[in-house]
Amino acid sequence: MAHHRPARPARPAATHYDAWFDMNQDELRQTRKPSFVTPNGVTVQTLYTPEHLEKEGWNYQSDVGFPGQAPWTRGFNPAGYRRELWKTEMYAGFGSAEEANERYRYLMSQGSTGGISIALDLPTQIGYDSDHPMARDEVGQIGVALTSLDDVERVFDGIPLEKVGHIFSTANAIGPIVCAWLLALYEKRGTKTGDCIVQLQNDPIKEYVARGTQFLPIESAVKLTTDMIEYCQTAAPEWLPISVSGSHMKQAGATCIQEAAFTICNAITYVESCLARGLKIDDFGHVLELHFCTEMDFFEEVAKYRAVRKVWTRLVRERFGGTTERAQHFRLHAATSGRPLTAQQPLNNIARITLQALAQILGGCEQTRTASFDEALGIPTQEAARTSIRANQIIGYESGIPDTVDPLGGSYFVEHLTLTYEREIEAIIRKVDDMGGALAAVREGYYKRAISKGAYREACAIESGEQVVVGVNRFQSEESQPVPTFKLDPGAAERQVAKLAAVRAKRDGAEVRRTLANLHKACAAGGNVMPAIVECVKVYATIGEIADVWRDVYGVYVPESERF
Amino acid sequence: MEKQAQTPGQATLAAGQRPIRVVLTKVGLDGHDRGVKVIAQALRDAGMEVIYAGLRRTPEDIARIVLEEDADVLGLSILSGAVVPLTRRVLEALKALDIDDVVLVVGGIVPDPARAELNGMGVPGVFTPGTSLTEIVKFIESSVKLDRDYGEKQ
Repeated sequence: MAHHRPARPARPAATHYDAWFDMNQDELRQTRKPSFVTPNGVTVQTLYTPEHLEKEGWNYQSDVGFPGQAPWTRGFNPAGYRRELWKTEMYAGFGSAEEANERYRYLMSQGSTGGISIALDLPTQIGYDSDHPMARDEVGQIGVALTSLDDVERVFDGIPLEKVGHIFSTANAIGPIVCAWLLALYEKRGTKTGDCIVQLQNDPIKEYVARGTQFLPIESAVKLTTDMIEYCQTAAPEWLPISVSGSHMKQAGATCIQEAAFTICNAITYVESCLARGLKIDDFGHVLELHFCTEMDFFEEVAKYRAVRKVWTRLVRERFGGTTERAQHFRLHAATSGRPLTAQQPLNNIARITLQALAQILGGCEQTRTASFDEALGIPTQEAARTSIRANQIIGYESGIPDTVDPLGGSYFVEHLTLTYEREIEAIIRKVDDMGGALAAVREGYYKRAISKGAYREACAIESGEQVVVGVNRFQSEESQPVPTFKLDPGAAERQVAKLAAVRAKRDGAEVRRTLANLHKACAAGGNVMPAIVECVKVYATIGEIADVWRDVYGVYVPESERF
Repeated sequence: MEKQAQTPGQATLAAGQRPIRVVLTKVGLDGHDRGVKVIAQALRDAGMEVIYAGLRRTPEDIARIVLEEDADVLGLSILSGAVVPLTRRVLEALKALDIDDVVLVVGGIVPDPARAELNGMGVPGVFTPGTSLTEIVKFIESSVKLDRDYGEKQ
């Protein structure tokens, strides 16, 4: 409907916000919603102006500055995306090593530039061999099954690592084992650690809150994470041994601000654990990564990435005593979220993914992962994965968006949100500090309660129609055609178990027993266990055998019932 | 005890009847529990007693918990792609303990062919993302025999 201004004599132009609001209040008060509030509860006003920023004490130099310098709001790279576009990473993996190998080759042939990003199946993530009773029905289901160095060799078979450039995996509690596998693989193939950067999530804390692959007591898991960071300092100084991740807490129901704050609190715990070992932040600050996911509230997401750079780098300088730029330049990794994707009218998800990808690009992330439109239905098909690579390429090559650095910098609204985020993230960090840090907050259930509350609030808002999900609670359509879904080869799990049996038959059993016994001693002694793990994997000890040594020495995580 | 007249969504309890008791759990190794916890709160708000048994329960664990809690309803949450075999194993474990009066509902990522298989196994209550909470509450209320005697199970 066309909007016509009332026929009235021209008025003098307003020169400040209140005057402008008063002049137009008849129109401004007729809103299509009773209130405009972001999912974080940040009230969004009609308009933002320089006056709003002035009132908040905003200062260009100290709050924003130039790209490539503190406070890093406009990004770490002075050239933004003018020199190089962001890395487009596609997370993938299913079945056994051969199936995954084929998919990785396909994704790289289609222009995924973010290297190989390995999704692991649940038995692997929880430290069970593919033939363990707990692994039944789940081998290769949501990721690739890796049980020994033999599987790792098959995953990368025929793929030149130096051309891949980057290997990532969501190895958390099992991070040290995957790290050892890759060190052994590099050694066998004569690849230098600097030729292909390995990056492992290795962030067990959030598993106890949201993702659920924990299997050891939390303190022991943090100890193993620290072992790996420390070991990589000399064994693979180019690698990124930890990616502290908020993505899963967000997808479980945390708000954007909670996602950022909880992640930073967890990162503080890992850093302090490293500092307690005598490591110096100036030596390892640059190998830390913070990983977040991007959902649908566009400007909140942009502001989150800008605020996180400010908050974390300030902690590095002021709390951990970092003195170099390198120590402040952590990796900022973003992934579009699978959670807002709908099973209904799945092609709508292409629009959602594109908006999310755009928000993380405008937030200045250097490495971005993009989900596929059929993820609410199962493992992505090749076509769905390719379409997500194309969405990145359309933003990169057709839209002109990456042609200037930080194009949203200076937007009154985005700068206001960035300030709000910075303040609120720091408030939560203080609160968690007061509780005694992240581990205490996890133990007391503080994160979990906040997250469940958020998830239920959103479910109720969707139920009542207050929050619109297109195609689900509004704009439903019976015409939507089903999209083809991925079918896992039903023989993959059986082949995986057979390969494992062959490895067990072929390896030197005495060497396996000896190295596992050494690992047991190393774990009990309390020192860094990485060298002992590397010895185990080289003689093809399996993930289950190594994890069982941990379980034996450290104990096991016990699931809890909750009454509602 | 006489059966109460019952409208979906507004279950009324007769004297001596206890609220519907629901055990919700993750089965298998999948740890994504956002959905199951939302359902737990929604069922609680609808007046049910809800026990969320947590992560990584085995079928045998689950059958034992159902028996111990004298549950009317068992809700399984599975997002890992193994929904059919895991549900089948839970049904077997229930049968092994002679539990035949619990209403089994399944929620999670369930592709259409898997839904048909579950229905074929006698599991009509299969709920995927986007299902309204009210629909789930109504399904459970209309499926549970509210007049069940406490001792009937033993």
